Amino acid sequence: MPPRICLYFQVHQPYRLRDLRITEIGKGKTMNYFDHDKNHAVFRKVAEKCYLPANRLMLSLLEQYPDFSVAYSLSGVFLDQCEEYGKDVLESFQRLAQTGRVEFLAETYYHSLSSIQDTQEFCEQTTLHIRKIEDLFGMTPTVFRNTELIYSNELAQTVRLMGFKGILAEGTDHLLQGRSANLPYTPPQFRLPHAKEMLIARHRPFSKRSDDIAVLLKNYRLSDDVAFRFSDKSWVGFPLRAETFTDWLLGGGGHSVNLFMDYETFGEHQWEDTGIFEFLRTLPRIWQERGITCATPSQVIDAWEHTEAPVYDAHTVISWADTERDLSAWQGNQIQMSALRAIHDLGPLVKATGNADLIRTWRKLQTSDHFYYMCTKYWNDGDVHKYFSPYDSPYEAYRRYSHALCDLKSRVEPKHKQRTTHSKRHPKAKS
Amino acid sequence: MSLHTLMFGWEYPPRHLGGLGVACQGLVRGLINQNVKITLVLPFAADGSPDEIDILCPQEHHIQKIRVASLLLPYDSADLYAQRIQSVPHETAQIYGADLGHAVHVFTETSVEVTKHLQPDIVHAHDWMTYEAGLRSARHHDKPLVAHIHATELDRTHFHPNEWIYGRERWGFEQADHIIAVSNYTKNILVQHYGISADKISVVHNGSGEPQQGEPMRQPETTLARKKHPMVLFLGRLAIQKGPLHFLEMASMVHKHDPNVQFVVAGDGHMLPSLVNQAARLGLQDCTVFAGKVTSDEARKLYAQASCFVMPSLSEPFGLVALEAIAQGAPVILSKQSGASEVIGHAFKVDFWDTEKMADCVLTILRETPLASQLTAEAPRVLQRLTWENQAGKVVSIYNNLLRS
Repeated sequence: MPPRICLYFQVHQPYRLRDLRITEIGKGKTMNYFDHDKNHAVFRKVAEKCYLPANRLMLSLLEQYPDFSVAYSLSGVFLDQCEEYGKDVLESFQRLAQTGRVEFLAETYYHSLSSIQDTQEFCEQTTLHIRKIEDLFGMTPTVFRNTELIYSNELAQTVRLMGFKGILAEGTDHLLQGRSANLPYTPPQFRLPHAKEMLIARHRPFSKRSDDIAVLLKNYRLSDDVAFRFSDKSWVGFPLRAETFTDWLLGGGGHSVNLFMDYETFGEHQWEDTGIFEFLRTLPRIWQERGITCATPSQVIDAWEHTEAPVYDAHTVISWADTERDLSAWQGNQIQMSALRAIHDLGPLVKATGNADLIRTWRKLQTSDHFYYMCTKYWNDGDVHKYFSPYDSPYEAYRRYSHALCDLKSRVEPKHKQRTTHSKRHPKAKS
Repeated sequence: MSLHTLMFGWEYPPRHLGGLGVACQGLVRGLINQNVKITLVLPFAADGSPDEIDILCPQEHHIQKIRVASLLLPYDSADLYAQRIQSVPHETAQIYGADLGHAVHVFTETSVEVTKHLQPDIVHAHDWMTYEAGLRSARHHDKPLVAHIHATELDRTHFHPNEWIYGRERWGFEQADHIIAVSNYTKNILVQHYGISADKISVVHNGSGEPQQGEPMRQPETTLARKKHPMVLFLGRLAIQKGPLHFLEMASMVHKHDPNVQFVVAGDGHMLPSLVNQAARLGLQDCTVFAGKVTSDEARKLYAQASCFVMPSLSEPFGLVALEAIAQGAPVILSKQSGASEVIGHAFKVDFWDTEKMADCVLTILRETPLASQLTAEAPRVLQRLTWENQAGKVVSIYNNLLRS
């Protein structure tokens, strides 16, 4: 039997910050940190180029081909923006859900880095996301995917204890060591510290832990052929035809070929005139002709009948970002480290207020994109071509972010503490 | 066989007012390292002021310097020149010419005459006052002319040019076989405002000047001291082009927010009296120091002390001061209307007119230690790439392309 094709698309939009000024800190009535116009404009642009046409195409493919299925992870902040800027987009996803052949994955609501910062916050944001998916789509996610596929052994155990039966990860060469990415793997078995297990038990989204957890690995070569190389004229595979790509999919054998990518691949990263929609339209027809079926992540896991799976051993943290595939995109320099520390240090104070608005804003500031925009890995000699950001520079990203943080801080710090920082010094008595 | 360049310059350290002399020296040294033989013609006035130039670079005997008597000084405008000529004894003024046009003419005639016996491979002229000398010389020797543009009249006058100078510049650009601009910013000005074809212009950014001598000025204690007594620095000629008024406007906003911040305005120029008045009008008299013209040692100390260096130029072809500040570890805020902002990545870049944002960037750097420390640590990387040796290498390939065609 040929391997199943497991398609998962990431859908996310951050709340970009506006040009905040130091003179506004502590003065505004509301926490008006975000660039409403910009966020609206970006959302509509991507909706017209990607979300709406791609969803239309997906719906027709699902109606036409009974063996076609697909999975999405829609971040909570994306769903919030749907309510603000794009009810049409939300409805088009709901129509896809009604086909019964679309799976929604769980992630942190705010597309945050909380998994590496704060376990309780991580559990809470995941729970919020699950409830949101249940409300909007009437189904409960059972497979977890972390922000930017950030993954480690410890995270896999954490997510298992939270009650998930599967988790997605990048299939990196150094961890696979020549093995195929097309099989479900399992993390090494070990116990987390007792206190952490208890913490997870108190805050997990589900009533009980899962006994084991499967790790589905992104086949990064085949995924990136579509996501990054599809329109690259200097690439040997150009132009990529659906038939050829299907040959490649079958070439590796195994249980399932996991094609994980940003949904913006269709129409935004690869423009319509590259033929990306035609490519997507043709694939299910060829798959049907060749007897290839699709499976969503949970179906892939359920179809795994072997009692054992090989071990995927991620001692250090991996991700799907950049060529390094580690955390350096978010914590690679001083300003990123400082911003991350500052936002998480505010947690206890923010939560202590019990103010839902404050907590929500604090969480919106946890979205990983804020830290990504501060990345200076490729920022030498002012080379802007490799810098994907709504801002001029990583420093502008930090300037806006640090102002937002200062303002938020001024709202949650106990009043007496604020007074002491400005308290008058006693003038020295003259001798 | 090594190339021989006949170069017409107009200032050279230690006798220089601005970045042009420094850039010229850097390029000359870089070219010597690339095995290029240079004859440099300079328009120094023969008025009894010290004529001997103390050259530190041991290889500098490769350069033959020929000085031509002239009262010309860089950054001249017709008005200023007229002022200076009045302070010169009448007979001297007669000799050197009573107006700028005549002075350029004298310089051109003399410098062409004294270099006729040479056999250069290429002629290289720096900025408009030397273009005619360069062209005549190039014609005489039948060699290609490279016009190097360090600053246009439009930069100096905030787009209100002396038409005669503008015309001389334009004529020079048109006549030259090739043009070297110090930035894409300047190249765009030539294309947009002088109607020069972009194909004819190559961009060679300035190099980063001297390698650091002695111990780095910035010590850990300086960092702490800066945190306690923050100082924001301006360094440049006090002329409209450099944006000192915008600096004061920014300073007054910073001052309102944080009265502890000190401001130093270093440099000399005709705007000094009005700037002092303006500072007082803005209530900055107690926190602003006008340091006057500073030596390069003093400048280095100021950069090292500064919590942040601001270059608010209205139109800056390059802006070597930005590289000098970075070399001493000062976080920098640059006008977007500058060439330096093309090569310096680790900095804030603002439109010169947006003084409110400039003030905000200053205050952010003062408040956020990790930010200041990252800018201090990361920005100097560009200095390693942007050496005069590398940049001179680009000039040599331009020479070779010209000689081949």
